[in-house]
Order: sequence, then C-alpha cells, then structure tokens
Amino acid sequence: MCAAAIDFGLGLRPEHYEEIAASPGRVSWFEALSENYMVPGGSPMHWLDRIRRDYPMALHGVSLSIGSIDPLNERYLDDLKALADRVQPMWISDHLCFTGLRGLNMHDLLPLPYTGEALNHVAERVSRVQDRLGRRLVLENVSSYVTYAASELSEWEFMAELSRRADCDILLDVNNVYVSAFNHEFDALAFLRAMPRERVRQFHLAGHTHKGSHIIDTHDHPIVPDVWTLYAEAVRLFPGVPAMIERDADIPPYEELLAELDIARSIAADVGREVAAPVRGAEG
Amino acid sequence: MTTNAGSLGDLQRAFQDYLFKSSDAFQTAVRDTQKADRVTLLDVYRDGYTLRLIEALTTDYPGLMAMAGPADFDHVARAYIAAHPSHHPSVRWFGKGLADFMASTAPYNGAPAAVEMVRFEWALGEAFDSLDATPIAADALMALPLEAWETLSFTALPSLRRCIFEYEVAQAWQRRDEVEPGNLEVARAEAPVTWAIWRPERVSNFRSLDADETLMLDALVAGKAFPELCEAVAPFTGDDQAPARTAGLLRAFVEGGMLAGFSSGAPAG
Repeated sequence: MCAAAIDFGLGLRPEHYEEIAASPGRVSWFEALSENYMVPGGSPMHWLDRIRRDYPMALHGVSLSIGSIDPLNERYLDDLKALADRVQPMWISDHLCFTGLRGLNMHDLLPLPYTGEALNHVAERVSRVQDRLGRRLVLENVSSYVTYAASELSEWEFMAELSRRADCDILLDVNNVYVSAFNHEFDALAFLRAMPRERVRQFHLAGHTHKGSHIIDTHDHPIVPDVWTLYAEAVRLFPGVPAMIERDADIPPYEELLAELDIARSIAADVGREVAAPVRGAEG
Repeated sequence: MTTNAGSLGDLQRAFQDYLFKSSDAFQTAVRDTQKADRVTLLDVYRDGYTLRLIEALTTDYPGLMAMAGPADFDHVARAYIAAHPSHHPSVRWFGKGLADFMASTAPYNGAPAAVEMVRFEWALGEAFDSLDATPIAADALMALPLEAWETLSFTALPSLRRCIFEYEVAQAWQRRDEVEPGNLEVARAEAPVTWAIWRPERVSNFRSLDADETLMLDALVAGKAFPELCEAVAPFTGDDQAPARTAGLLRAFVEGGMLAGFSSGAPAG
C-alpha cells in the first residue's frame, strides 16, 4: 500500500462528519481542533476515531497559551498528550499568543509584545512543552489588531528567531499574514520571506471580514483573491508544504469547501509548473 | 511584584483587565494606525470576548433562548459572563454554572422555569459527550439462573443523569424550534417529576420516571441488589407484586439502553 501525499486538507467540523465518512479520499488529511475532542466520549470521539481510520490528521489547539505568564496548564498538557496518543497526529500545532492569565481563559488569541523578554519566555516554554509531548511543536502566527508600543522586533523576526531558538516549527497562516499586514501596515511578503524555509510545516488558508479601517479574522467567508495571491507567493517560497482551509462560522456545504480547496490545488500546480518550466527547457 | 511598566507580565495583566473592562490603562500600551485609532482596534478584542462567550451559551441553551428571547437572553448571558469568567481551556464548559448563577441571582431567580430549562439543557449536553459504554441486552439477563437474581446488581450508563423538575421543561424543549424566540411557554407540572437523561448510542435521550421507578433507579445506581430494588418498589405495589413490577421496570431500563452492566455471585446459565 502506498502512502498518499499529505498536501491539501480541511478543518474537521461536525457539520461534515457524515459526508467525510461516506466519501473518503476527497482530501488528503484533516486538522482537528484539539479542545473539541478533550471530552470523555460520545459523538465527537466517535467521529474523530471513525475519520482518523481513513485520513491522516493534525491536531490544532487554541488554548495552550504558550506566551502567558501563568504557569503552563499541566492538566491541559495531560489531556493534549492523551489525545495525541489516541490520534497519533502528524503534528501538533497551536498559536504564538496568550489566551489569559490568573487561571482564566479569554478564549481569544491575544498577541504578545515582540520583545526580548517575551522571546526568552516563550522559547523556554516551547522547549518544556516539546519535552512533555515528545515532539516538535508547530506554532502559528495569529491575526492581530493592535501593535504594542513596547515591541522591539517585528512579528516575523520574533517568529523566525523563536523557531531557531526553541527548535519548533511554524504553521504559516497566510490569511493571518494578510490580515496583520493590513492592520499594522507592514509588507506581507517581507513576513513570508523572513520565515526559515526548513521550519514551515503547514499553511492555513481562511476568509476574513473587512471593516474598512481594519480586517478581522473571522473564518466565516471564502478566501479572498488577495490571500490567494499571497498563497501563491508562499508556495513559491515554501514548495511542498501542506495547506488546509479553516472555516469556523457560516460553514458551507462540504462540496463548497472541496471546490475552494481545488483553487489551492490549482494555484500550487501553477506555481509548480512555473518552477519546473526552466528545467524542462534545459532538458529540451 | 514586577514594576517594569513595559514588562510581559504587566502588559498581559493590563490587556486582560481591559477585556474585563476593569481598567483602560492598556490603551497607552498600544499604537494607533494611520487607518484606525487604538480604541477601535482594542474593541475588536473587548467586544469579541463577550460575543464569543454569548455564542457559546447560545449553542448550549436553545431552550432558554426560546423562552427568554434574544434581549433577555443577552441580558442574562452578559451578567453571567461578568460574574463567571472562563477557567477552562475549552469553551465547551463555560456554561456549566449558568443554572446555579440564575438560581442565586435576581432577577433571574424570579424565573424558576428558566432555571430548570438551563439545568435540563446542561444535563443533555453532559450526556452528549460523556464516557461511552455499550448498553446491555435483555438476552443476557434472561440467561441468568434464578438464584443469580438474589445477588444481581447493575451499573447504569455513565451518561445517566436524574433531575427533578417542577416545570414541564423537557416537553417545552421539544417545541423550542416551533415558536418565535421568547414565546416558548413552560407549564408548571402538577407535582415535581424526576427525569432520566442518558445517551444509549450517540443521541441523548430522556424520559420521565414514575415515583416507584425513581426510587428503584436510585437504589440501582447505589449498587443495591435485585431484592433491595424490589423493596424500593414494594411500598407502591405491595410485597406480592413488587418482584414482577421491579422486573418490568428493569426490562424497560434495559430496552431503553440505560444500563451498562450487571454482576451476580452466581454464574450465568
């Protein structure tokens, strides 16, 4: 039996469980939201196990709170480790952010100040989490709406240095780069070019809501053309990196997401042909 | 205590305090952009915090929404969010304390039917993703020798919950999508009724229990053996009829998929 390529995936959402199980092979992998499956049993765990039988999976969390000054949540890490033992994911990802302190969870991906102090703090915690999970952690750049006056580094400098220092990988959310570039008036391409090529493990693609003066990362719309253009640049810079589409609200029919995923396939194929063309010319 | 105003800890505390609306000091820690002022941008986080939690409560409590309507639901949700910040990594558990909050807080404690609806819906949600167990089949009990029943005891499904309601919240909950939000009427029951809520397969189930059934199920969950289950029923039926009634109730529990196992001192025949 040949292992299929891990290329284009979708977020695993309850609205699509039955169609996914009924039509295997339409995508090559799924990303499951870790916290949704930290429950004792029932329908969520049934479908997780059922779909895992047919597809490779990655686990993607929202509550690791890697940047918080609170102690790491040991119970959460126990639950995450248990879930990873059950799912045997390709990788485990979360966000470069904090989600609360004083034992509270704000259920939001709050940005960090990009300072040397924060870099030291996060790098040390990433190392501890990686030791605990027995694998590299994959950290995602978040969409953000405010810039700290205290920041000493750009977000891309911070992420690149963190990945080197903590030996972790990067989940490059192309939509988040686009959103933050608009909100903070930086060059999205500069962000992409600063990512260490060997560290980029996965792409995220998603839709957003444009408010005129700022963009909010809502995952409730199709991906916009500008983000597809940025995705093409990401594929040029990081060829062969698996991509997936996140949709978390106003979730459309499964077929609609499959069609959107075909756009990603088409863009990656076009970029692949661009890259391959000079080689073919030389052979001719 | 950290005194550096720009330190990671101070910035995170100021950010969280801003979201809780307990301090606006964080405004000085972030920048305007050319397109938007910092308050507009910070409102994305401040508004998002509350709206995200209201959405979680809306998912958990459609019956309460049908009773209260959007405006009153929003009122109680915001009061709960202000009083009970989330401690759990998953927003799935955020609404756990809503019934107790409403029961102990004016003006919500003036609507006991709404409090019961919230208790019912939370029990349904708990049953939905509780620990799995395969219900036992009636055939397994039929195969037991007569003497095994002297020591026979049972375990209920991990999902089984029992709630006593003074209002007909379960009946009303089934009509939640048939009325405009705010118009779901919930009648008071003639007397308090115990309800069983459980999940035999992947869908939660519920039904009311008769008075003798309630006492028998209490005894069963406490690990009592079949003769003691008969004793629980006997005051309602008389000693002569108690074994037949108890066996009938047991059969209904088994056929309803409420029981996960049994044990007896005697081997199966």
